[in-house]
This record gives sequence, structure tokens and C-alpha cells, in this order.
Amino acid sequence: MLFSSQVFVLAFLPVCLAGWRVFHSSRLRRLWALPFLIVASLVFYAWWRTELVLLLVGSVGANYALGQRIRHLARGGSDTAARRWLAAGIAANLLLLGWFKYADFAARTVGLTPPGVALPLAISFFTFQQIMFLAESRRDARGNFGLVPYAAFVTFFPHLIAGPIVRPSEIIPQFASAPSRRLDAEALSSGLTLFLIGLAKKLVLADTFAPLANVGFDAAAQGASLTFVEAWVAVLAFALQIYFDFSGYSDMAIGLARMFGIRFPVNFNAPYQAASIAEFWHRWHITLSAFLRDYVYIPLGGNRRGPARQHVNLMATMLLGGLWHGAAWTFVAWGGLHGAYLVAQRLWSRHVRFALPHAACRAMTLLAVLIAWVPFRAAGADASLRMLRGMAGLDGIALPQLFVDAFPLLTRVATPVPVLLHLGDARTLALPEAAACLLLGWAIVLLLPPVQDWSERVRAWSLSGSFAFSAQALFFAPHMTPFLYFRF
Amino acid sequence: MVLACIASLIGYGVLFGFVLDRPLDLAWLRVQIEAKLAHGAALPSPKLVILAGSNGPYSHRCAVIGPLLHMPCVNAGVAVGVGLDYLFARWTPLLRARDVVYLPMEEQQYARSADATEVGPDAAIMFRHDWRTLAKLPTTRWLGAFFAFDLPAAATSVVETAAASAGIADARATGAETNAWGDHVGHTRDKAEANAGVLAAMLPMHETADAVARGGGAAVIARFVREASAHGVRVIGGLPTGFADSPPPPATIAAIREIYEANGGTFAALSNLSRYPRADFYDSPDHLNEEAQIAHSRAIAALLAERLTGVAVSAR
Repeated sequence: MLFSSQVFVLAFLPVCLAGWRVFHSSRLRRLWALPFLIVASLVFYAWWRTELVLLLVGSVGANYALGQRIRHLARGGSDTAARRWLAAGIAANLLLLGWFKYADFAARTVGLTPPGVALPLAISFFTFQQIMFLAESRRDARGNFGLVPYAAFVTFFPHLIAGPIVRPSEIIPQFASAPSRRLDAEALSSGLTLFLIGLAKKLVLADTFAPLANVGFDAAAQGASLTFVEAWVAVLAFALQIYFDFSGYSDMAIGLARMFGIRFPVNFNAPYQAASIAEFWHRWHITLSAFLRDYVYIPLGGNRRGPARQHVNLMATMLLGGLWHGAAWTFVAWGGLHGAYLVAQRLWSRHVRFALPHAACRAMTLLAVLIAWVPFRAAGADASLRMLRGMAGLDGIALPQLFVDAFPLLTRVATPVPVLLHLGDARTLALPEAAACLLLGWAIVLLLPPVQDWSERVRAWSLSGSFAFSAQALFFAPHMTPFLYFRF
Repeated sequence: MVLACIASLIGYGVLFGFVLDRPLDLAWLRVQIEAKLAHGAALPSPKLVILAGSNGPYSHRCAVIGPLLHMPCVNAGVAVGVGLDYLFARWTPLLRARDVVYLPMEEQQYARSADATEVGPDAAIMFRHDWRTLAKLPTTRWLGAFFAFDLPAAATSVVETAAASAGIADARATGAETNAWGDHVGHTRDKAEANAGVLAAMLPMHETADAVARGGGAAVIARFVREASAHGVRVIGGLPTGFADSPPPPATIAAIREIYEANGGTFAALSNLSRYPRADFYDSPDHLNEEAQIAHSRAIAALLAERLTGVAVSAR
């Protein structure tokens, strides 16, 4: 069940909120409020594949028992034993994740027949959450939580599927105290507002850019050569699609959690406004970046063992981060590119003594991020190269005849063609329409502050501008079909 | 927050109902529909109205059929995708007892869902220009018309308005490709040569009998047949043109026939099921080239004459 589906918006969320309110108001709220939330979250998860709820429940139970064991050992002074149990727990979690997520990929890589393992929804997220819990159990042995708040924390539907990846020590206490806290009408209102803004990001913006990106990348996947404009429209559209999709989902998750009185950390902070790659990673999927820093980069040695080792650590962290996004070499290439960017940035700051203007830094960072999105989205290495060739103009620059006729100077740089075949729905006006949409999208991401910095008034204005489009997209867009007779 | 949501809905309605327009893509549709309605309104009864998607004007020629039947004729079809309930709502007031309506509807017209129809191009036209017709349609259509605009539609409106201001126009809106009867003209065999490769590669899709019988379009057509027949209008269903190497399944044809015959209309099909070699087409299976359009129209005239008089008439 997706947050942006009719069944979630019209049925699941209202029932869930009403149930939470009823249980919360009853005398037995300490006993029943959290179990209700856990059951609702399991229903949410089961909507996809019922049988895999057992995997989630088993994982939660086993990790809780492991955490208790580690905590007990650490509290009793047996730190070595606690470390062993922690290592075993992390290994078991990673083995489970590895089997479900990477078994097919590994088999294909070494030329074996893939076992055909179905990837359980959200396994990457709930695995990372529980690894954090185990690590915190050893570090902070005094803290103790019951099974119910822990299960509520892991299964809580707002972050179960796609994060944010939250620190157990920050969130479990909120669950533990949630049943005894007063229901906050302001939290409900601000949470709903944030949810609706996230919904608009997903349904109105991301889903507008998706077809523009798909046409170009699908053409590259099928072996077509893309001209300069076609390639750039596809890449610029994909960069907006993935940002609005993911940040919209995060806004929805944070807003949903707020409605239940839980505060989640910020996950996106205007990443395309970053002036360096390091800053980009402080602004993009912030909770994953923090996880990778705390659980991969620092344990590998971070910057404590000299520059060369730091560079190796950066590359290793980013390669693993890439692989975490998906079991394919294209994701590894994406992570590798970002690792290389980070190393290059370290070398630059260490050896080059002059600073570039801020605007140039932002432009270069954005260009680097856009180039890295190519292997992330492309179907494979060949398609990536075709897209990069197109972006470099190596497969020509073409423009619709109509524009070349209107601006004859364009003939000096562009070849006139009837239509750009790999841009939108391949009409003449598809180019200016795409340009208008891209202009709007890039103005939003480059000029506006992130949602969390908006005042109530700005949020209200944003809702005024987007709510009707969200309603349109939620209820009517699925039935819209392209009209075949549009000529331009 | 509630106020912001209400303001959003009002602003959206004002924006698409009064400010933004689609002067290129939707204007030609509107111009075509209005021109054909005006021609139809000027004809004396009994008249022949051919109503379908683009199969109507491309593959049928009123200029041929009308004189052969000694009836004034209007080729009222424009394009598949324009809501049939909208078209019927516009044409029904112009129909009189003893008028003949021939419907060589494309298969997808029957199968088209009501949900898809609610947000089709006619919804945008009605919401911006034709609230009178919209008011006659069910309330679900009002909602669909209100929400027929997404963000790309707004961008398209801005771009089309700028393009129209710069003097760009759709030749179809000027009527240059349509004669006074509403027939499409000028799509000659010579011009069709440019599309030969595309035509050769096309794989026509057929609707199943079940999809036809249960389709939202089928329900709208059935209602129209029932109501028109009750008012003395003769409604004759037919088959659209298509490739000879890809005839519709017999069960699909039977399902189409059933829609007419079960609701007071009749159904008439040529012995070749309106199937022709690919070389006879212009740019799609629904569009015969001009020479084949004329020949097909003669055959259809003979078929309709037989149905109307009970006497066989030579196609020549």
C-alpha cells in the first residue's frame, strides 16, 4: 500500500487515525494503543504480500531478544561477550538482507542460475533500523525498552517502507510515552499539512517528470542514440523525479508520524542547492548518510588513519551505499562516482589554495550529481554511455523544424527535424512543454528553502497551489489516456 | 489548512475554467465539432448522420453517400477519445423522426471505460467553453470535467497560447482538410505512400466480445440507440474499416450487433466486414486513403439503401 494510493488516503489512514484516537482515549490506552498501531502497521505491510509479515515479525522478535541479551551482557560488564553477540546479530541481519536482496545479483555476477528470491518489501530499511538497535543496546546498556514499544518503532508504517532511518534511542522513548501523552490537535494539523505537501511533491511533481525521464532512458535502453536536447531533458527530468518522489515520500512519512505524536528527523534539506558533494550528502537522504557515516565509514577508520586510508574508506562507504540502493552494477557505479567525487573534493581542498565562487561550486556540484544519476537510472552500462554521449552532444544537436524556422540562427548549432522522437510524446510542442515543466521544477528545488523551514503561511500558500492538483492526480489522473490526434 | 484546500480548488477551477485554454490542440476539435453541428442543423429531414471517431470522416464520404441515397448527409465524427455521451448530447437535439444515424464506431469506442471518458478531451472543452452541454450530463461528468487538468495541461496551455500568439495554427482547425459535408479530404493514395512502412508494420488490436459488451462506451451507445429509436430515428450500427489481414473476431462482431439489435436499432455489415488491403489505407487502420474512402462509401451507400428501402442497390 503506497501513501499516494486511494486506499491509503481514503481508508487506511482515516481508520488508523480514528482507531488510535479511540484506543488513546480509553482507560486501557497504555495496554492497547501501541498494539493497535502495530497491528495496523502489519496490515499495511501485508497489503503487499501477506506471507512476508512472518519474516518481519520474526525479525523483530529475534532482534529484540538479541538486543536484550547484548544489553544484559554489557550491563554485567561482559563487554567482549556483548561485542560477540552484537557481531553475530549484525551478521545474521546482513545475511538475511544479503540472501533476499543480493542472492540473485551474486549468482548472475558469477554466472550461476539465480535462485529467484523475491525481495521482501522494506527489508533494507527494517534491517538497518534493527542493526542500529543492536549497536545502541551495547553502547547504552542502561536504557531499556519493552517489546511493544520496540515492535511499534520497527513496524511503524510511516517509515517502514522507505525510511527515514531513525535512531532507536530517539524514537522508541517517544513510542513508550505516546499512549500517556495528550493527543495534540496542532500536531495532527501540521502533520496533515506536511503529508499533503509531500503528496503533492509525489503525485503532481514527480509523476509529471517521470514520463519525460522514462522516454529518454527507455530509448537509450533500446539502443537508440539520443541527441543533446533529448538526453538533457531526460536527465534533468529524472533528477527532479527522484528528488520530488523521495523527498515527497519523506515529507509524507514525517507528517504521518507527527499525526500520531511521533517526531521524525528531517531527511532532505534542499540537496540540489549544495555547494559541494560532501554538503550534498549532508542534505540528501540525511538519515541514510548518517547511518553510513556512523556504521560504515567511522568503523572503517574514518579520517583517523591518514589521507590515503580516508579515501579508501570514502570509496568503500559510497560503493556500499550504492549497492544498498539496489542489487545492480549501475547502483555500484553511482556510488563509486560519488565516492570519487568525495575523494576529489578532499584532494582539492587539501592541495588547491584558491576558492571558487559559491555559484560555480553549486553549478559544478549539480553537474556532478546529474552525471551520477545517469548510471543510477539507466538500464545498464551501454545505456549509460549512450545517455552520456547524448549529453555531451556527440550524437548531434537537433531541434524541431518549427523552432529552427522561428529562430534561423539555430541552424548554426542544431539540425532541424520534424519532431524529437525521444522527448515526451514526440510532438513539436513537447519540447517547450517539457521546458516549462522543468523550469518550474528546477525553480522550486534551486530557489525555495526546504519544507521544514517554511512558515505556516508559506505552507498554507503551498497547499493552496497544490491541493487541487493532488486531488486530480489521486482520483482522476489514473484514467487519463493520451489523446492520439494532437498534432503539435 | 481547510481554507487553503478550498482556496486551492477555487483557484484551480478559475484557472482552467476562465483563464487557461488550449488554442491549438483542443481548438481544432471544437471547431470541427461546431462546424459539423452547424451543418447538421441546417439540413432538412430526413437526413443521414454518420457518427464515429475519425473512422467516420476518413473512411466515409457523405459527399458520395448522400447523393446515392438522395438524402442530405453530415459526417459528424471527429476523433476516437471524444466522449460519446458528449457527442450524443450535442446531436440528439438535431435529430428528427425518419432521420438515419449510421454508427461505424471503432471497437475501442465500445470498450472505453466511463472513467476514461470523464476526463477525455471533451471534458476540457466543456469545462472551458460549453457549460450548457456539461450541465445536461450526469454529475460524475461535472466532476471529471473539473478535474480534467493536470500540471502538464497547465504547461501546455501556456505554451499553446504563446504559439498561437506567434501565428502558429492547426490546419485542421481552418477546415482546409474537411469538405462542406464534414468528410476528410486530400488524404490521397500518393500521400499515403509516405506512411507505407508504418502501415505495413502496424499490428491492429481487437477488443474481445466481453470488453465490448461490458464497456462504458457500449452502455452509452445502447442508451442512445434506445432513445433515438423511441423517437422515430433509425439507428444503424456498422463496422469500422480495418486491414483485411486482421478481421475482428466473430464474437466481437456479434457483441457489437447485439448492442444495436437489442435496443431497437439495426446492424448492417458489408460482406467484406469493411476490411481492405493495407495499400488502401492512409495512416492507420481507421483511415482509408481518399480513393478507397470513395469506393467504401459507395458500398456503404448500397448497404444502407438496402436497409432503408429493403431493395438491393448496386454499389456502382
